[in-house]
Amino acid sequence: MLESNESYFEKEVERIRNLIYSNQVQLDTIIATRRYINEHYHTDLNLEVLSRELLVSKYHLLRLFKRYYGQTPQQYLSQKRIEKAKEHLRAGMSVTEVCFAVGFKSLGSFSTLFKKKTGSSPVEYQKRAILKK
Amino acid sequence: MRVKVTSVPVQDQEVALQFYTQKLGFVKKLDMPLGGGNRWLTVVSPEEQDGPEVLLEPAPLHFEPAKVFQKALFDAGIPWTGFYVDDVQAEYDRLTALGVEFSMEPKEMGTVKFAILDDTCGNKIQLVEEL
Repeated sequence: MLESNESYFEKEVERIRNLIYSNQVQLDTIIATRRYINEHYHTDLNLEVLSRELLVSKYHLLRLFKRYYGQTPQQYLSQKRIEKAKEHLRAGMSVTEVCFAVGFKSLGSFSTLFKKKTGSSPVEYQKRAILKK
Repeated sequence: MRVKVTSVPVQDQEVALQFYTQKLGFVKKLDMPLGGGNRWLTVVSPEEQDGPEVLLEPAPLHFEPAKVFQKALFDAGIPWTGFYVDDVQAEYDRLTALGVEFSMEPKEMGTVKFAILDDTCGNKIQLVEEL
């Protein structure tokens, strides 16, 4: 029998692929969900909308997303919005404009989440970013 | 507590600095002499210059177990660490054109696509794109 030239790592990758990632239909659905969030994070997005767009039941979608990406769609959406908010703040957009541009409905919820995730308020973050330029 | 520095053991700090800046595209951040030709040498991502620093540390030159561990990982094809990129295929094309060698071509696995390169300093490094 010929010995495989594959490294230990390559063999492990194949083993894990077969163990965890063998359901391509599920993977395609969940990758499409993440892409949908990436393209529509600024809209009024929630599990209901995702479920309708991806033609998958809400709870199945929630379970699959968490399984394959390690966080819920809502957590990923918040992360995406904060990441985009940082970009806009660095570019000099006003805090109110940023809040609505990334899909938040109120300044209060935007500022609270921004502070929770970054450690600073949007205003403080923007001031620091401008000083560094 | 904050994550500020992560380290990559390198067999030659100057060669590593050239590779990590001129090929991979990182930017030198700190460079301080530590005596005996050793340096506290860090690089950062050009897009996140205040983000985590990668310390190119000469451990394999001075601490035998570090050298043994680094070689064992390399021989097994296990990446020391990984860096996120937006497009693995584009980085693979760019880096192979610069002469960088890959031990694994871009490959999809579940929700990521990745490739593995040789950093010429004793490590395999994984480039990862989230799908």
